[in-house]
Amino acid sequence: MSNIDTSRDRVTRMQIFTLTFLRVVIGWHFLYEGLAKLYSPGGWTAELFLANAVGPFSAVYKSIATNHTILMVVDQVNIWALIIIGLGLFAGIFAKKFAILGMGLLFLYYFAYPPFSGYSVSAPVEGSYWIVNKNLIELAAMLVLYWFPSSDITGLDKYLVKEK
Amino acid sequence: MTRFLRRDFLKGMATIPFLGYFGLSFKQNILAEQAKSRTNYLDDLGIDHLDILNYQIPASNAKNYKPIRIGLAGHGWRGPVLLRALGFAHPTWIVENTIKGKPNEEVSLFLDQEDLNLKLTGICDTFSLRAESATAASVNDIHPGAKNGNRKPAKIYASYSQMIASGEIDAVIICTPDHLHTQMATEAAKAGIHVYLEKPMTHSIEEAVALRQVIKSSGIVFQLGHENRQHMSYRIAEELIKKNVLGAVSMIETFTNRNDDFGAWIRPIDKRGTPQTINWKEFLGDTPWQEFNPDKYFNWQRFDEFGTGVTGSQFTHYYDCMNQILHLGIPESVAALGGTYHFKDPRDIPDVMNAIFNYPKRGFTLTYDCTLKSNKFRPMTILGADASMEVGNNLDIFKDSLSKRYTKIVIDPSKPIYNYFPDPRVDGVTSATASAYIKSGFGRTLVERKIVDTTYLHMKEWIDAIRGIGAPSCNIDRGFEETVTYILANISLKEKKMVSWDAIHEKAVLS
Repeated sequence: MSNIDTSRDRVTRMQIFTLTFLRVVIGWHFLYEGLAKLYSPGGWTAELFLANAVGPFSAVYKSIATNHTILMVVDQVNIWALIIIGLGLFAGIFAKKFAILGMGLLFLYYFAYPPFSGYSVSAPVEGSYWIVNKNLIELAAMLVLYWFPSSDITGLDKYLVKEK
Repeated sequence: MTRFLRRDFLKGMATIPFLGYFGLSFKQNILAEQAKSRTNYLDDLGIDHLDILNYQIPASNAKNYKPIRIGLAGHGWRGPVLLRALGFAHPTWIVENTIKGKPNEEVSLFLDQEDLNLKLTGICDTFSLRAESATAASVNDIHPGAKNGNRKPAKIYASYSQMIASGEIDAVIICTPDHLHTQMATEAAKAGIHVYLEKPMTHSIEEAVALRQVIKSSGIVFQLGHENRQHMSYRIAEELIKKNVLGAVSMIETFTNRNDDFGAWIRPIDKRGTPQTINWKEFLGDTPWQEFNPDKYFNWQRFDEFGTGVTGSQFTHYYDCMNQILHLGIPESVAALGGTYHFKDPRDIPDVMNAIFNYPKRGFTLTYDCTLKSNKFRPMTILGADASMEVGNNLDIFKDSLSKRYTKIVIDPSKPIYNYFPDPRVDGVTSATASAYIKSGFGRTLVERKIVDTTYLHMKEWIDAIRGIGAPSCNIDRGFEETVTYILANISLKEKKMVSWDAIHEKAVLS
């Protein structure tokens, strides 16, 4: 069901364009991240990312890195989740469901390296972040996608949504 | 039924053309990005593969052999580490490294070691408390391959000679202060007891000549304690050098950079160490008598009659790494300068020192820089005409910007053209000295995608060799080369003169 009643012009064309643009760029980002990992020579693994995790939940992330079987599963789930979420947002199919999944992934990335004061990351990072970083901003943008969907107008969801 | 107008209907496809563009172009872009960021140019280096990456740890099959009876001389700083490598951990160490009933990574690595089927039967240490602590390790039932207990406590001997003469020891680990090394190793070899000796081997060139003779004529298995021999990064480096990846090597740089009390050998003095608990006479060994001095006992590294200077304590590590990679042998001549400029406490050893080791026939020099007043980490570096190599726990090769050989490789010159970076968990330590130790490529390594303690591998190699499997990688000849090299530097430093090596008469000659 659409939350936006286009028939009464409650959203303008520019608003729909903007929301679609936001959905496509986030979809593009997820899809490319997933595919880049899929095509990584020798196979991509989150091992380094997880093993170097910092912050209050680092032990959980590190424990995944030390278990070979779990790590292999986590790697594959991450790659394919990124690809499928990316495709969903890009084409606008099941976009609301994928926005929730995407937020879940970003939430996990965020807490692996939370930009709280006192947790130093050894790798150099561009920019300065405190509590808010790019993961959190992308998460916030996906929250917008969830509550202000555009896929029922400019996405394949249009053909799945039954009319009232 | 849908009742959309055609234009409105097509709106649902609005993003599909962009997805189409993405689909057509993404792969090319990914491959281009990967080409830019790749750090493995083995093909371009003219190497199709590295043999050593297929290395597998040989099985000891220790159960098929009768147990080897081990004696330990010295249970201070290094002794407990060596005992754990052989499967004997102090119960307190297990408790301290078990969190909420779960063993931490250190204990897990320990328990993953192969059971080498050994008995720790004899212990001697001049400090009675340390000897007693080793006994506790000898009976600890928590060990690799443990199914049930039945470990008997090791016997504490009042002197090393008594332990050697007891007939209860097949092989001995010597990790005492440096001045006792030669005397102890000689005594063991003459009794037909196999020797694992911590570096440095001897205090003087004469001792090294004599010890080599004794070891070779005795037929025992001798291993010098340089676990870098087991570290994958050095083994990879050796193969890369053999395959001439760097071109003509002209210089080799090694370093000690430390800036804390522990690193400057100002270490805690155990208040329980008194003339009643310490056998001072046994500690002095062959050195002239002097009154009991706890600072000298616990910080013997700072004093020439016991220690072997920063070269014996530190340079020997790096020399052996480079000897492993480049098969250096003994330099033709050595010049060293430096002194004790910063520390005002009693000490004979320099806190600032530079030494140059000259290898004219090989076309290179080896340098060693030591400061105990800067913790700036400088990796060991091998400079070649076509590329240079930084090697420690990691290994990086950088192409020479003016070499014509690797012009095919287009890369930011600050980025390596070959990089070996083992598992990050290999480096899991905190203190400055320990961190430098790991960075320099000691401690743990990664073999068959498993983290393994290199000291365990090095000692296992020795045990296997005693049982007739393989040979020790740091044998008496390697030890001899190292000993002569570091002692030449010490002589040069003391005499403020260049020293040459007379290979025929095996003597140092002052210029």
